[in-house]
Amino acid sequence: PCMKPGRQAAELQSKVVPSKQILHSDNMEMEPETMETKSVTDYFSKLHMGSLVYSCTSKRKNK
Amino acid sequence: RMEASCLELALEGERLCKAGDCRAGVSFFEAAVQVGTEDLKTLSAIYSQLGNAYFYLHEYAKALEYHHHDLTLARTIGDLLGEAKASGNLGNTLKVLGNFEEAIACCQRHLDISRELNDKVGEARALYNLGNVYHSKGKNVASAGTHDPGELPDDVRNALQKAANYYEENLTIVTELGDRAAQGRAFGNLGNTHYLLGNFRSAVLAHEQRLLIAKEFGDRSAERRAYSNLGNAHIFLGEFETAAEYYKRTLQLARQLKDRAVEAQACYSLGNTYTLLQDYEKAIDYHLKHLVIAQELNDKIGEGRACWSLGNAYTALGNHDQAMHFAERHLEISREVGDRSGELTARLNLSDLQMVLGLSYSTNNSMMSESRVVENSLSGTRPRVGRRHSMENMELMKLTPEKVQNWN
Repeated sequence: PCMKPGRQAAELQSKVVPSKQILHSDNMEMEPETMETKSVTDYFSKLHMGSLVYSCTSKRKNK
Repeated sequence: RMEASCLELALEGERLCKAGDCRAGVSFFEAAVQVGTEDLKTLSAIYSQLGNAYFYLHEYAKALEYHHHDLTLARTIGDLLGEAKASGNLGNTLKVLGNFEEAIACCQRHLDISRELNDKVGEARALYNLGNVYHSKGKNVASAGTHDPGELPDDVRNALQKAANYYEENLTIVTELGDRAAQGRAFGNLGNTHYLLGNFRSAVLAHEQRLLIAKEFGDRSAERRAYSNLGNAHIFLGEFETAAEYYKRTLQLARQLKDRAVEAQACYSLGNTYTLLQDYEKAIDYHLKHLVIAQELNDKIGEGRACWSLGNAYTALGNHDQAMHFAERHLEISREVGDRSGELTARLNLSDLQMVLGLSYSTNNSMMSESRVVENSLSGTRPRVGRRHSMENMELMKLTPEKVQNWN
């Protein structure tokens, strides 16, 4: 199971490395997470702008 | 007046988080919550952003708390899209905390609602998140054991296969949507999943796509990640020269990006690759570079690994004095950090070396061969974990009778 210098050359020639010889130096590099976003301005603009526009137009109508 | 003030604080919090100052953003959001608001949608948005800010600050318990508040609120006011988003964020947070089953339930809810609302973008994002949870789950179980990529128990394999399926499903949608950035992310994580599954050719194909997209965007961090992952996959394909080329690109970019930790990792990978190529001088060169940075960053574990690797490389070159020096240093560090298996490995290495140095005075070859037989049968009883955790089993140290004869 161990990798001996004498055996190494022969094993290196084989196409795929026997897994036990591998050094786990590799830390996998993952992609970032995606978080869902909410924004105060989104709701604010929809909600308050809507009512603002409404109040302006209704005021105008009242006049 | 109170309403406006809560909004003002929240808007400032948003501005600060967008500018990248999450810490300051958090204080404004917390202040906004203190002031309070009657508008539950605004409150939901504040909770959500607080959750995300804490997530980016790696304060996951806090992130969990706020995403949970957001979810409760979204349900209360019957905001289905808001509920989907809160579920997704809660799922991501639970994943990081290692609560995979609940994470899956939350991400599934995100997916179900997105489908119900016929929200393709949301659906794709939920699929990506689900892939990430299954990937983490698989990796988590796998790392508890001592498996190499491709050598997996059934539960690990199942989780990773599910992850691959979710990434593939995500890719179908984001390709339809023409979202290249999302494709890049999915290819990267799909590649890593194939890598863990032992599908190294598929891993290479995915990471090549990731690389292409990273270059399109001029995203050098993503480019560096792709090179590193491509290097890893080629190691397992036995294509060490190609791996070395990719690791060199990684190193180059790490230096450009001035990321010392990543630079150290690249040097370490290169050292290991040149060990596999039996070019021990180059291996030593890179391991020494790794050692210097590990010391600079006060990374004791990295330093221990460097010493172990250097001990092996010097042994392979027959430089026993240097080998002894690094084996002793490895032992010291293992003791310092309380790495029991590292300590055991270091002791074994030292006794091997002492044997070689002792034997160099002896001319009795037959006795030596006998001791080798004993040594070999003993090595079978050595704790497997011990050698694995301490980097990994490249037992270059183990001496064949031929080699010992050469040294005499």
